[in-house]
Amino acid sequence: MQYIIVGLGGQGILFTSRVLGHIAVSRGERVMGSEVHGMAQRGGSVISHFKVGDYSSPLVLTGAADLLLSFDQNEGIRNLHFLRKGGAAILNVHAPEAMENPHIKSFLAERQIKAFCLPGYDILREKMEGRFLFMNALILGAMCGAGAGTLSIEEVRKAVEKLAPAKFRGDNLKAVDLGYEHFAGK
Amino acid sequence: MGNKVILLGNEAIARGIVEAGCDVAVAYPGTPSSEILPAVAKYADELGTRTAVEWAVNEKVAFEVAATASFTGKRTCAIMKQVGLNVAADPLMSVAHFDLAGGFLIVSADDPGPHSSQTEQDSRYFAMFAKVPCFDPASAQEAKDMVFDAFDLSEKYHMPVMLRPAVRVDHCRQDVETGEVRDLARKADFKKDIRRWVCLPAHVKINHPQLNAKLDSVREDFETAFGRYNFEIPATGKARIGIIASGVSFSIVMDLLKEWKREDVAILKIGTPHPLPVKMVEDFMARHDNLLVLEETYPVIEMQLPNRTKLKGRWNGFVPRAGELLPEVIRDLILKALGEPVPDEGVPELKAAIEEMKVTPKPPMLCPGCPHRASFFAMRKALPTGIYPSDIGCYTLGVNQRDVDTTIDMGASLTSASGFYLAYKTDGKDQPVVATIGDSTFFHMGILGLANAVYNRHAFVLAILDNSITAMTGGQSNPNVGEKLRQGDEGRRIEIEPVVRGCGVSFVKVAEPYDTADSAEVFKEAWEHAKANREPAVVILRHPCMLLRQKQARVKVRVNPDKCIGCKYCTNFFNCPGLPFDEGAKKARIDERFCVQCGVCIQVCPHGAIEAVEGEEA
Ligand SMILES: Cc1ncc(C[n+]2csc(CCOP(=O)(O)OP(=O)(O)O)c2C)c(N)n1
Repeated sequence: MQYIIVGLGGQGILFTSRVLGHIAVSRGERVMGSEVHGMAQRGGSVISHFKVGDYSSPLVLTGAADLLLSFDQNEGIRNLHFLRKGGAAILNVHAPEAMENPHIKSFLAERQIKAFCLPGYDILREKMEGRFLFMNALILGAMCGAGAGTLSIEEVRKAVEKLAPAKFRGDNLKAVDLGYEHFAGK
Repeated sequence: MGNKVILLGNEAIARGIVEAGCDVAVAYPGTPSSEILPAVAKYADELGTRTAVEWAVNEKVAFEVAATASFTGKRTCAIMKQVGLNVAADPLMSVAHFDLAGGFLIVSADDPGPHSSQTEQDSRYFAMFAKVPCFDPASAQEAKDMVFDAFDLSEKYHMPVMLRPAVRVDHCRQDVETGEVRDLARKADFKKDIRRWVCLPAHVKINHPQLNAKLDSVREDFETAFGRYNFEIPATGKARIGIIASGVSFSIVMDLLKEWKREDVAILKIGTPHPLPVKMVEDFMARHDNLLVLEETYPVIEMQLPNRTKLKGRWNGFVPRAGELLPEVIRDLILKALGEPVPDEGVPELKAAIEEMKVTPKPPMLCPGCPHRASFFAMRKALPTGIYPSDIGCYTLGVNQRDVDTTIDMGASLTSASGFYLAYKTDGKDQPVVATIGDSTFFHMGILGLANAVYNRHAFVLAILDNSITAMTGGQSNPNVGEKLRQGDEGRRIEIEPVVRGCGVSFVKVAEPYDTADSAEVFKEAWEHAKANREPAVVILRHPCMLLRQKQARVKVRVNPDKCIGCKYCTNFFNCPGLPFDEGAKKARIDERFCVQCGVCIQVCPHGAIEAVEGEEA
């Protein structure tokens, strides 16, 4: 299982790969990932590679990722090429019309990629007083709700509960649930 | 025994340093090396070792402190990023000749790409230049294992040994085996011996040939005794290509081959690129006609081969001479070397969409609320015709709003200001020059440039952007902060003002960056003083970094659409992520996702269009 996680510096991308890693290890699987630290974190484009299974290198080859988790619409679009045929993307979008671009639609169709878009900022604005730092938990929940990937919502909730700082545990779990409910049963 | 935990590559290296019984670890932060030293302190605290762990003021200092501690027979290490090794080059060249007592490890982290550096240089080249052995890990686990071997090798031959992790090893996260601490119970015991410890020319005449002999022995060891790092993976079928690979490039090749299930590829993995086990490589070369070398970032393996005419590599440009060897680059190189078609990325649709929608990568920017942005704004307002040499730190990002005209390396804001001063002075012109430097960089290499400018009477303004932290590299302490890394260690804070005065500066004023009108006045006054008195004048702009999350007044702001005329003054000269320009409405707007309500932008708009929202001032 190969993930690409993209967004902007400061959006809490590293927490997402920690959650994925925690679950994989508790399942007895090997993990490997590549993170961005330093200059690139100052609000600029950030990309994390994360691989579960028997791999040697931490980097995902373009066109080989199973799942793209995107915290920012532009970053998501810029990195769709990482997805393999039949892969899936969970995308926080703020201007959904962009996803209607005919080139993007034909790219997704050609590669048989399922793109799950959610208005993450709107959800967090309405339901969590605009505290956008919970985007990471929201996306993780959305991933389970959309049925993308192999993780269950219970596993994700358990890992988030374990890894989130005590002060924000409840809020993180709420964001996971909000993401989950956005897609589950639809 | 072995317990597997998921670690960052840098944590794995730190764990190795503590487990290997290292008594003194000194570093200066720099991406991608910065997480190593704090992790050394963490493990030393957890495991209860006596390791001394310190941030030094710069890499030369770190190197010399650690190297000398090893003269007493203890194991020590100096940790830095690749350009830090430039700063430490002087002691590196000398100490390489010494007959050391305790193991001395140099960790120099490289940044192919580069992702966060001013060069893409290869530390292995420096190892070759200084004649010290070098390990090049391909994974976090290997990096940790190599720490032990590097110390052992250093003690076997009494010479410094380098570990060169590249960024993908430093910042990879993987399961790593942890072990027990080797308690070496060494006691410091410095044995005086001028031949060993004083680098006089007469001693170099003995020590240099001896260094050469040591390197020959190390090379022999690398040929025969380091099979865990240097090994061949023969093709399962008939080999049509032989790949010589080191570092993470090797790991990438392994993943590709697994995916491809190819039987015609043989690999020679090299984990000790200097001194190169030449016989091993030549033997591999003799058995393969089609040879590809994959290494980052310079052709260091290639350079050490007497005959490289057969090789496809960085040397002859088959492999690009610059840039990171990403999986897709390596895939294409292997296919090209095999004469097979390189897959069309097949994403013209995506490219078209990205072009149509003008989706570009977002460059790093100063954080919302960053005091540097306000300082720059005041600087430009006060001295709009100035030349602005700057330095290395978050404030380098002031280049986005053109408040940074030059950067060379750490400390060069001051020396560049001197250079500009002299060039214009010889024409008889008073050119305003404002140098900007951060607090960590000031202590790293700024003080010397200041002393030079005072001594030689150079007229310019030095703005010390004091955010009380080393921010760019993740928020480390420095002399201006005074904290130390190990539990129970106490440091002492050094204030900037007395240091500046001690260098002979008579104009020293502190300003609050958020008050841009006041700090602009101070900038003007400083330049008038510098000009009149032919000496540098210093303005200290003091406000804590946003990363420190200190409580400050919040001012909710809005852009009044009736007053905003869409002139883009705020985006051009203030450039805050919380205050973007809405191309549709042709007006500035507040982006609540990023705005931290610092309120500084109210002072920026020349038309008064940015207003505090009434009743919401805290
Ligand atoms: C020789 C060298 N060592 C280390 C670094 C890594 N580095 C980049 S910026 C920086 C320090 C910045 O601190 P400061 O000057 O206080 O500015 P701030 O980022 O806090 O604004 C460091 C250590 C480097 N670029 N060059």
